[in-house]
Amino acid sequence: MIAPAPLKQNQPSQIRVRVLRQDGPGQDPYWQLFDIDYEREMNVISVLQKIAAKATTVDGKKVSPVAWDCGCLEEVCGSCTMVINGRVRQSCSALVDRLLQDNPDEIVLQPMTKFPVVRDLLIDRQRLFNSLKRVKAWVPVDSYYNLGPGERLPRVDQERAYPLSQCMSCGCCLEACPQFNKIELTQEAGETQEQFEARKQAAYDTAFIGAHAISQAMLFNQHPTGKALAGERLDALMGPGGVATCGNAQNCVAVCPKEIPLTTSIARAGRATTVAAIKNWFEGSGEKKEQRVGE
Amino acid sequence: MTSVTATPCTSFFTRHEFAIRRLHSLTGIVPLGAYMVVHLTTNASLLNGTATFQRAVYAIHSLGALLPIVEWGLIFAPLLFHAIIGVWIARTGRSNTSHYTYANNRRYKWQRITGLIAFVYLMMHVWHLHGWVHFSHWVELGERYGFAQFRPYNAASTMAAAMASWFWKAFYLIGMWACVYHFANGLWTAGITWGAWISAAAQQRASKVCTAIGLVLLVVGTSAWWGAISTDPVAAKLIEDQMYEANLKAGVVPPSVEKRTQPDPVLGEAAPAVAGEAEASVAPASE
Repeated sequence: MIAPAPLKQNQPSQIRVRVLRQDGPGQDPYWQLFDIDYEREMNVISVLQKIAAKATTVDGKKVSPVAWDCGCLEEVCGSCTMVINGRVRQSCSALVDRLLQDNPDEIVLQPMTKFPVVRDLLIDRQRLFNSLKRVKAWVPVDSYYNLGPGERLPRVDQERAYPLSQCMSCGCCLEACPQFNKIELTQEAGETQEQFEARKQAAYDTAFIGAHAISQAMLFNQHPTGKALAGERLDALMGPGGVATCGNAQNCVAVCPKEIPLTTSIARAGRATTVAAIKNWFEGSGEKKEQRVGE
Repeated sequence: MTSVTATPCTSFFTRHEFAIRRLHSLTGIVPLGAYMVVHLTTNASLLNGTATFQRAVYAIHSLGALLPIVEWGLIFAPLLFHAIIGVWIARTGRSNTSHYTYANNRRYKWQRITGLIAFVYLMMHVWHLHGWVHFSHWVELGERYGFAQFRPYNAASTMAAAMASWFWKAFYLIGMWACVYHFANGLWTAGITWGAWISAAAQQRASKVCTAIGLVLLVVGTSAWWGAISTDPVAAKLIEDQMYEANLKAGVVPPSVEKRTQPDPVLGEAAPAVAGEAEASVAPASE
C-alpha cells in the first residue's frame, strides 16, 4: 500500500522551519526562521530544497541558501545526519508529517553538535574517520603474493558480523554519547598547516574513540583475514580514549538508525581487552610500544 | 614514518587511562562495594539489640593494631582513589538527558550525581564518626566541633547520640541511599566494562539482578539507619558498660580509654587523665 493517506482536514498550509545557521568555522551561530508551503509526503531534505529555492526568511529578508549535505536519500550513506527537533537522525528519513505530529508548530534543524561546523548544517566528520583509522577498521589484503581463498565463515559468525557491517559512519552514536565531546581546534597565528594538523591529530588520537569504531574493531577482529590485526586493534582500544572511556549511558544503541548492537560490541570489546590486559601482564615483553615503532 | 610517531604522550592520566579506569571500576566492587555490604549488614544488626551490634564491633576491633592498616589499605585509600578518579571521570562527560530521555541515559546521569553525593557524604561520615586519623590532638579538635564522635566500645550509644539531630538523620539516609544506588548501578555497568554480560538480553538480565541486589541493600541499609536513630543512647550505654566490664574481666577486650565514652564509670575517674597520653594510632571504628 503505497498510496498516500487521505488528506486530513487540519493540514497546515505552511510549515515553519527554524534553522541554526553558521557562516563559517568558528563563527557565532544564529537562528533563522523560514516558512515553506506544505506538501504531503515531504522529508527534511525536500524541506531544505524548498528553503534553498526560496532563500527568504519569515521577515522577507533575502538570505543565502542554507548549506547541508546529502547523498543516497535512502538512509545508507549517513551524510545528511543532523539534529532534528533536538534528536540526531538522517534528514532523508525524517518525514515531515511525522515530525508535525510530534511538534505542529515548527521543525527545528541544527547541525550535529559534536563535530566542527563547516557551514550551516554541514559538519566536518574527520574525527569519526580518524577513529576508524585508530582501530584499523579494514581487512589487510595488500600483499606481494596471492593469499588464496579466505576461510569459510560459519553461519553464526556471519549473523554476528552482518549487523555490525551495516554501519554507515553517520555519527548518530557519537552525537548522542555523553562521553564523546566536541573537539574544535583553530589554527593559531604563526602555526604552519602541518603543525596544526599534527596538533589536531594528537587531540583526535587521545580523545574518546566512539561506539562506531569500537563496533568496527569487533567486526574486523572476528573476520578471518581481518583478525590478523586483532592485537593492534585491541591495543588501540586499550589506549587513551579507548573502550574504557565508555560511560555506559547506552544512548548509542538507542539512536543508531541501523539498530547495530553497539553496546554488545562495547561489552565484547570490554571482555577482549580484559583478556588482552591479563595476557599482556603475564606474557608481554614489557617493552614500550613507542620504542618498537621508533626502531 | 619518522615524524608521525613522534606524537608526545602527554599526561600520566592519558598514558594510563585504561589501567586507571579499570582500577577505578575494580575498586568500586572490591573492596569498596563488598565492604559496604558488610558495613550495612553489621550496622543493621543493631535492630536485634545493642548487645548484638556491640559484639560485632568487638569482633572488628579484635584486629587491634592491625585495624588502621586494614582501614587505610582496604577502605580509605581505595575510597579516595575511587572518589578522586570518579570526579575526574564525571567531568569528562556531558549529560544530555533532556534530549535523550532513555532510562539508561538517566542511570548514567544518576551514577554521577550519586557518586558526587557519596563523595561528600563519605568524607563527612568518616569525619563525623571515625575522625579519619586518631592523633589525639586531631581527635580533640574534631570532638570540639561535634566530629570524631564514635567510640567503638560504646558503639550503639555514641552512634545514636551523634545522629540525634534532624540534620544528621537526613544526611545519613540520603547519603546511604546514594551509595546503594551507586553500587548497584555500578555493579551493572562494571559487568559491561569487564565484559561479563555481553548481549543485550544478558545485560537486561544482569540489570534485573543488580536492581534486586540494590533493593535488598536498600532494605538492609535503611534498617541500619533505623536501628541507629531508634536506639536510646542512655539505655544502650548501660548495656555496653556491662558488656565492657564482663569482657574486660574475661580478657576478651583490652582496656582502652580512647575507645570508651568519658568519663568512664567502669575504669573510674582516673580515665580522663590518661586520655591525653592515649596511643595515637589505635583506631576505633565500625566503618
